[in-house]
Amino acid sequence: MEKTIVQFILDNIFLFLPLGITGIVVTIILFFLPKQEATPKYEDVKTDFITIFKIRLNIYVLVYLFIWIIMVIIGVLSNFFIPTLIGGIIAAVPLVLLIILEHRTNNSKVS
Amino acid sequence: MGFIEINLNFGENTSLLAPFIAMISIVWVFLVYYSYKKYGTKKTIMYFLPIIIATLLIESAGVAGGRYYYPGYIIYLSVVGGAVPLIIILAWSVNLFLFMYMGKYFISKVYQKQNYIQIILISLAAGVFGVCLDLLEDPIAHYNNWWIWETSLNGIKFFNVPILNFIGWFVLIFFMSVATLLIERSRFSENRKVLLSISSLAITGSAIFIFHALIVRLFEFVGLS
Repeated sequence: MEKTIVQFILDNIFLFLPLGITGIVVTIILFFLPKQEATPKYEDVKTDFITIFKIRLNIYVLVYLFIWIIMVIIGVLSNFFIPTLIGGIIAAVPLVLLIILEHRTNNSKVS
Repeated sequence: MGFIEINLNFGENTSLLAPFIAMISIVWVFLVYYSYKKYGTKKTIMYFLPIIIATLLIESAGVAGGRYYYPGYIIYLSVVGGAVPLIIILAWSVNLFLFMYMGKYFISKVYQKQNYIQIILISLAAGVFGVCLDLLEDPIAHYNNWWIWETSLNGIKFFNVPILNFIGWFVLIFFMSVATLLIERSRFSENRKVLLSISSLAITGSAIFIFHALIVRLFEFVGLS
């Protein structure tokens, strides 16, 4: 009979409990040790761009697109068409959303 | 059974496993190198090491619990009785980094204030992006036997993949993104941030455990699992 991860952890609680308690204690100690404060630096997401064939693309969108293309190719080569088509459409939503958003932001800057 | 296991029958009972492993390897090397060049060693450790530890435990528990297994890979790691391919653990570290930064990019366009609400919004976006990609990836993986879900599992399925798997993806990416962003934006020194990112896994793990247990119970209650 297979178990969910939650059931597995509960069955082996004496393995996970010491790990959890140690982690929580160390975290509390690290929180309350005298602070060596550093000013938080907020990164500029604008620097995450690359230009390919005059098209400006975000690095992370490009990596996502690469994974998407490879997975669709594998799905098609596996003759697993319907799930690849449905999954491919759903997985393309973030890509379309980010590209449209980038396009709209650029247009609003120009105007 | 040791911590590291080597399987000499690469690709047995699977199809198209090599291109999948090649893809993960390329993406992992590229993103780790990019993170190292842009954010430095300590931040790169902070982004990649905690999720590697967390998913090693979770995936190993999943395999040991008998819900799924991974045939045909070369290097396996085993911590709590279930053997998990090294490449799957590396893929998880890519998932967190990639979806968290896609979430940052997306939310920065619609909500500029850098506060707790933004952290929640980024993490929600990261979780949703992760699930979107997994809806493509998991059915193909199951079909090609890259990982095999037990057919006896009950509940709603998406092309033979249990819906709870996708909820697990969302919960894991959401909570790990929240923890990473909170530590990243704190005023602690870089060294302490690295230590906190690892030690706080106990708190993040507890949150994931409780939240996932509640969802499993809810699914059982309404008869979906």
